[in-house]
Amino acid sequence: MDEFKKTKEMNSEARGEQLFNAQARNLRIFKLNVTISWILLLLFLVFLFSGIDISIGDAHFKTIHLDMDFIKANIGFIASGVGVTIGISLLSIVLATILALLAALGRLSKFPPIYALSTFYVSLIRGTPLYLQIFFFFLALPQLGIILPGLYAGVLALGLNYGAYMSEIFRAGLSSVGKGQREAAIALGMTPGKMMQRIVLPQALRFALPPTGNEFIAMLKDSALVSATGFVHELMWRATKVGRAQFHNLEALIIAAVFYWIMTLAFTSLQSRLETHMSRGDR
Amino acid sequence: MSTILTACGGGAPTAADLLEDIQNRGYIMVSTDPNYEPQSFLNTTGKRPADSICPSDALTPDEMQGFDVDVAVEIGKRLGVDTCFATPEWDMITAGNWADKWDISVGSMTIDFIRLEVLDFTTPYYYTPAMIAALTESGLTSVDDLSGQAVCAATSTTYEAWLSGTLQLPASQIYIQPPSNVTIVTLPTDQECAQAMAAGRKDFIAYVTSDTVIDANIAAGIPVSKVGSPVFSEFLAVAIDKAHTLPTATLLKSVDDIIIAMHADGTLSNLSIKWFGADLTQDPTK
Repeated sequence: MDEFKKTKEMNSEARGEQLFNAQARNLRIFKLNVTISWILLLLFLVFLFSGIDISIGDAHFKTIHLDMDFIKANIGFIASGVGVTIGISLLSIVLATILALLAALGRLSKFPPIYALSTFYVSLIRGTPLYLQIFFFFLALPQLGIILPGLYAGVLALGLNYGAYMSEIFRAGLSSVGKGQREAAIALGMTPGKMMQRIVLPQALRFALPPTGNEFIAMLKDSALVSATGFVHELMWRATKVGRAQFHNLEALIIAAVFYWIMTLAFTSLQSRLETHMSRGDR
Repeated sequence: MSTILTACGGGAPTAADLLEDIQNRGYIMVSTDPNYEPQSFLNTTGKRPADSICPSDALTPDEMQGFDVDVAVEIGKRLGVDTCFATPEWDMITAGNWADKWDISVGSMTIDFIRLEVLDFTTPYYYTPAMIAALTESGLTSVDDLSGQAVCAATSTTYEAWLSGTLQLPASQIYIQPPSNVTIVTLPTDQECAQAMAAGRKDFIAYVTSDTVIDANIAAGIPVSKVGSPVFSEFLAVAIDKAHTLPTATLLKSVDDIIIAMHADGTLSNLSIKWFGADLTQDPTK
């Protein structure tokens, strides 16, 4: 009887291991297939821009022809805008984070003017296009005697815009901290300020930081809109100027696209590491 | 409202007028649109000199090249100051109200009556004929062939105004009236018109631009030809914003004198031959 029980236990253990191994193998095969498919899609994209024309019988297939000499001659000049693009995005995300936190706190305020200011800001900014806001700060502020260099006018517009959207993230972060914790903080005799600083904000920020990373990645691409004023010589501006003057808009824009994609890939991988790091200790 | 705000803001100008302000700071800020070769385009291998006094968001002459750029640098030299370049979009330049961001425009701008409401112009520094270009394979030969068709022009240009029949120029400068019933397609710059056609788009059958731009298009291998004869003559001049917070009369007079002197001593002719291969500095109506 005991013997029988033991073999049965061993069997179920071995079967469990088998099942586990099978799952791990399936996952490996799935990942491998995904990688192969990615490579095939990338190769197809490269082929689409190769300029090779194929004729099979009566069927003709044309691909997009790019001027490689233009690309070689201008890739360095366009690429030197990458630093400016990342710089604008970093400055803007810092400004946006501060504004978003203030707007989210304002939204929780019981004092009507503060609550109104917060909701008014979010409503106005979210109710108008970013492209329009960039021109507004560029054209309207000088009339108030504030003449900002193009870069800072762009950072202001991007920061204000993203701050309004990100205030929702921070609001969700603040409300993710349970009511019981606030009550406990008050029971311990903390002032509302202390409670925010020591109990609510640290937990809310952990919740809000990964989505902020996502906003930064989105901003890397929206920063291209700042080029429209003509005073910020970032990736998009460089690509449109050399493209137009030398009649190769397509090539110039493709160079810019490649760099935007590389930046996005790099920051997305950073972002997923950050998320893994932040979620440690979560249960 | 805006005038009140301007009056109380403005960062405390100490100079009596714009010319003095330029001399005090040691550089003149010139706007030009670097979308056009050979008029004005970026020198992608040029580097900003370490000792440049130009603001950080301006370009130095080392980073720019072209006919307009050389003319602007010569104007700066004769004023005794350095030249720096601002590169706003074209429609922001023609609209006036520059918010003191740049001092003058040396950007092949045609003098017309509508722009004269917001901008002051100097004596023209060169003249180009406006022309129509179409795909060579289309076989178009005269402006009348364009009746009822779609035609492309860049936004806020005199070419767009000519097509829509609102071009305000002295009668002697307009050679041909626009074709009837054209649909106007406006794109950001003339170059988009040419490239859209070269890429095989069928949204329009021709575009209007200056003779010099068509020459550059053809030289770059875009398969277009000129249609008929010039449609109007552009008198291209330096522009100054009327809404500048400082008085601009002395600057306008100084730059005007410099342009006249550059005509007289052959500087402009030489630069025109250098960049266009032809002397475009003679008034075609005289």
